[in-house]
This record gives sequence, C-alpha cells and structure tokens, in this order.
Amino acid sequence: MAVSPLVLPGAAEKGGPTAKSKLQSAAASSNGTPNAAQSSTEVNDVAEQMNEDEKAKYVKGKKLGEGTYANVYLGHISSSPSSLVAIKKIKVQQQYTEGMAPDAIRELKFLQELSHPNIISLISVFSSKDQNINLVLEFLPMGDLEMLIKDTSGVRYGMADIKAWMGMLSRAVWFCHENFVLHRDIKPNNLLIAADGEVKLADFGLARSFSDPYRLMTSTVITIWYRPPELLFGARQYSGAVDVWSVGLVFAELVIRVPYLQGINEVDQIAKLCMGVGTPTEENWPGVSKLPDYTVPAPPSPVMGIDHYLSMFGTVGQEGVDLLMKMLIMDPRRRITARQVLEHGWWSSDPRATKNEDLPKKGGGESKVAEDLGRRPGMVDDERAGKVARKLDFGGMR
Amino acid sequence: MAANYWESSQRRHWLFTREQLDDLRKKLEDQGQDLVQGYPLPQLRHLSIYFNQQIARLGKRLGVRQQAMATAQLYIRRFYSKVEIRQTNPYLVIATAVYLACKMEECPHHIRLVVSEGRNSWPDFFSGDTSKLGECEFFMISEMSSQMIVHHPYRTLTSLQGIFSLTQEESALAWSIINDHYMTDLPLLYAPHTVAIMAILLALVLRPNQTGVQSVGPAVGSIASAAQAALSSVHSSKPGSSDKQNAGPRTKVQRLANWLAESNVDIEDLVDCTQEIISFYEFQEQYNEKLTREQINRFVKARGLDK
Repeated sequence: MAVSPLVLPGAAEKGGPTAKSKLQSAAASSNGTPNAAQSSTEVNDVAEQMNEDEKAKYVKGKKLGEGTYANVYLGHISSSPSSLVAIKKIKVQQQYTEGMAPDAIRELKFLQELSHPNIISLISVFSSKDQNINLVLEFLPMGDLEMLIKDTSGVRYGMADIKAWMGMLSRAVWFCHENFVLHRDIKPNNLLIAADGEVKLADFGLARSFSDPYRLMTSTVITIWYRPPELLFGARQYSGAVDVWSVGLVFAELVIRVPYLQGINEVDQIAKLCMGVGTPTEENWPGVSKLPDYTVPAPPSPVMGIDHYLSMFGTVGQEGVDLLMKMLIMDPRRRITARQVLEHGWWSSDPRATKNEDLPKKGGGESKVAEDLGRRPGMVDDERAGKVARKLDFGGMR
Repeated sequence: MAANYWESSQRRHWLFTREQLDDLRKKLEDQGQDLVQGYPLPQLRHLSIYFNQQIARLGKRLGVRQQAMATAQLYIRRFYSKVEIRQTNPYLVIATAVYLACKMEECPHHIRLVVSEGRNSWPDFFSGDTSKLGECEFFMISEMSSQMIVHHPYRTLTSLQGIFSLTQEESALAWSIINDHYMTDLPLLYAPHTVAIMAILLALVLRPNQTGVQSVGPAVGSIASAAQAALSSVHSSKPGSSDKQNAGPRTKVQRLANWLAESNVDIEDLVDCTQEIISFYEFQEQYNEKLTREQINRFVKARGLDK
C-alpha cells in the first residue's frame, strides 16, 4: 500500500528497515505444555533452530531502561555492529498467571501488519530461552517530539519544520485508518524521531481495529490532554476522528510549545475544552447531549472563531490555521478525516516543508529511547502523572 | 479485522499450497514416529470436528462471539501445523486459543474465567492453574510468530450479499458454510474472499427451500455436480450475454457466474475450494465423536499431559 494517497506509486518504496519475514519464532515445545515422554526432546528442533537463527542475528547490549511490561535493550545486528536496534523484551507476568499483557499483545498484533516509513518498524520477533518475547524494533535515537517542543531555549523551529513533522504524523495516521486501525494514543511523546529526522508513530499498546457496526468500544483511551470531546462525553462508538483530534492538539502544541488544553482531570479537561475551543451544544453538534457523560459548565462559551486561532497560532499562516480549526471541529462527523488532512491546501502553500535532514534536532540518547519504548500506553512522564489515560478495563470490556 | 489482507501476515506467511501443508505435517510425524504409532488418532478432519465442538462448548459458556471462535479455530490449525498434537494437551490448547482469540477480537475474558470454564468443561483433563494457560498462550504466540491478525470470509459475504441479492436464508446458509470451513484446511489454503464466494455459490446451489434450510449432508453427490455445472458455466459465459432479470435462484447462480467471469477470482481455486468442503461434508457423516474423544483422552492421560 502506498505511503500516502497523494504520493505517486514508486515514490513510496523507500523508508526505514522494513519488516519482511518477521520471524519464525518458536519456543521449545517442552515448555508450552508439559510432556512426560522423552521421545519428544528432538521434536520441533527445526522450528527451534529457526528461532535460534533469528536470535543469533541480533546481539543484545546493555539495558537501556525498564518499563511496566517490558525492558528495553540496545542491540545491534550481529554481522554489522553499527546497525543499531532497540530490543524490547516483554516481561512475562508473574509466572504467566495473568496471561500476556494486553498492551504487549496489541503492539505485536499491529506492528506485525503495519509497515510504513512513519510508523515504527518491527524488524523481528524472537523468543529467548527464559521464555520472553523479544521485539526487535528500529532504533530511534533522536528522542521524540515532546522533547523538542519542551526545549524552548535549546531548540528553535518554524512553520516549515512544523509542516514537515505534521506531514509525517498525518501520513502515519492516514495509513493506520486506511488499514482500519485506530491508534488511540497520539501525543508528542509517542512520536519518535529517527537519526535521519523521520518522525515515527510508536506505541500501539492502546490501538485497536475499527469496531464492527454497533459494537461498543471503551471511551477511556487517549491521554486526556489529547482526548476528543466525544470520548470525554463517554461515546462508545467512534471513528478515526478521535485520532484526528489528537493530531490537531499536537499541531497546536507544536506552535505554542505547551499543551493547548491541559486539564487536571476529565471534568477539568471538558472545562478547558469549552474555553479553548467552545462549548459543545446541540447547535454546533446535533445529538451531543445524548452522549452518556455529557455535562458542560454553564454558561456555554461560543465556538472560537478564526480570529482567536489566528492570534494564537498565526505563525502557521492562514491555511495552517484553517487546517487546525478543521481538526478541532467538535462534532466528530464534521471533523476533517485523515485523508482530507492530506488533501488540505496547507501542504502545498509556501513555505514548503523542511527536508528531513535540515530539521532541528536534539540528541535524545539511549536513556530516552528506553523511556519512550518502555512507557505504558496511555501514560505521560511521571511529572505529568495524574493526566493518565485510565488503564483499560480489559476484563469487562466489550 | 484490521489492516490490508494483501499485505497481511496471513497472506504472506500463513497461506500454503497443499503440498507445503502436507510436508509440514509429515515432518512433524516423522519427528515423533514413536508417538504417532503408539497413539493412533482419527483423521485430521474428524479431530477438527471434535475441536470445533469443544470450542463451541467453551464458547457458549463464555458467551464468545462467532468471529472469535473462528479465529480460535484458525489459531489451533496454525499451531498444529507447527507442533505435533500428541505433544500437547488439546484441551489446554483449545482454551488458550479461545482466550487469545478473544483478546485479539476485542472481546476479552479474564484468564481466571477461561480457566474455570475450561475446568468445568473438561474436569478430568484441565488444570485449574492459570499459569498453565498463560504459559501455553506464550507458546502459541511464539509458534504463530506473533502473527495474530486473521482475515475472515464473513466480511466478504456481508459485502457481497447485496450484489447477488441473497435472501436471508441464502445468506444464513452461506454463513454456516463459512463456519464449517474452519473444520477443514481451507483457511490455510485459500484467501478469505475465495472461501466467501464458494460459500455463496454453494448456498445458491443448495437452494434453501421454504421449509427452511435443507440439511447439507445427504445430497452431497448432487450438490457437487450442481456446483460443478455452475462453475463450468463461468467459463462459457460471455459477460453481459445472458443476464436476464428474473429473481429465481437459477438466475442468481447465473449472475454469480457472470460476475466471476469478469472478476479476478481464480476459478481453479474456487473449484478446489468447493470440492474440499463437499468432501468434508462427506467425511462428516463418518465422524464418530466417542472414538475421537477416547483416542485423544488416551494419549493425554497416558502421557500425563493434563497435569
């Protein structure tokens, strides 16, 4: 599949290490189910050998960090010590009693299928003898967008740079939606930066496929600063529009360099949203009052007009502001889609997006890689805790 | 369903030719010859019917939706293409497949619930220890190379039923033929859309009558020839030549044939696919549940796999 609907076929074929045959892994048969007979010792050694071969392709280096459900190691390809990879070793929970962590499963599930220059690639998977699953991921040493945004004294960037980053993010999101995947946790610190400047969407621990019609999904996803109004109001059926809202807020944050809507809890988030975007009402969003958790502070504030956005986000120009406003349309049915985002006039208006090699950089270093990959989905850094996407209720969720 | 079938791990890694599949299985048998000789088992089709029944039992207790049960069945089939069945406790594998499939299809159940229902279903063969299932889950994910997204024919059926103006009965019959195909090797051999079209074709040929869906079993021979006839008309039909607008089932078959003639669907595949399911229905008549159960239980007990 093409990298973007607007790119000519062929232009799409480049990009990071693509994950072709993502491993033929195999744990020893004797481990999965107990077996008493001895005749079994040689069984499965073909599969085992394949796993060993795959494992031997990578050298696991020092531990970069520890996360809730995974440890992250620096590694490299055995035959080429300069080709670095990140190896994410998924911890087995308490001697298996809880089953495989749902986040780990989601991540595996989607990264196995999605291959795109702006989505972190899963290069391989192998299991190690201590019964851990190891994800070999591309090494993204340059930190994440959040670091760039926050480093207001060290990193300066302009509209052309924002356009480049937003372009890469928008292509990643379009690709997810085109493949019927909702990411559900888009935010600056899930946007990692490769050595060549390419932005890669990471952390699919909250992702899921589009629901079948009439089947419900959980509304407690997406870190609250980036959570759209329909989810704040408890909608159980939703679409790619939820991710587009998050993209809009990343856009806004890139411009003003602080999160645009920083609520301290869900109620406060709604209040911030009403002030910063406008109060959702039956007039601007027919049907909104029927959503299960619909409550808004009185009196309603009007939907912010173009003047407000121009005064705050004017650095991205008229077209840029227009795109931002369309991403922040409250009614998800009217919000711009990921595809329409890519068709917007902003991309082709001047200035053109900065080339990757000219984008501002800030070395993230190894510890940042570990932090980025080891974080639990839906979480922000510790000092920002409290705004965490509620942990998925995996047991009762339908 | 997620992602794109044409780029999927299912198409790239889990689609085999019949020869490849036979080779895989032969290799497994060769590696464990003593086991294979010591513990004879019924043919794979009959084992699959048994697994299907057991999944349905467990699924019913847990309230699992059809699509997750279909995914579970495919996981089991993939798993046993890599692992000799006599090395495993099939009941544990079944429960694990259901547990994992439910996670995958976004209708998860807690591991403790699955284990306790497994224990209720097969008290003599199932440990109450959740870590066994957790361990088996790990094993299964590894054997499947952590490729877990499965594309099913149901969606194709849903989107084509309008085009061929299927009645509710015809759709339901096609749907149940798709359910049945998980008891065969078809999901490892053909693309989901091929299976869906096969199901539609058979549903039209079988022509559910007013008194309800006629049972598939008895008329296998005549179904085969009717399906054959329909398919051969694909080759002869010139696009647009004979599309009369009567609504009778005969015309529907004709319309399907015309549609196929203009499509990129591989007709040879469709013929093979049809034959496979028909011969499955034949073998289904010889299925002996008691014998199958006994043979499975025998090696599980004798080898202490239920511990």
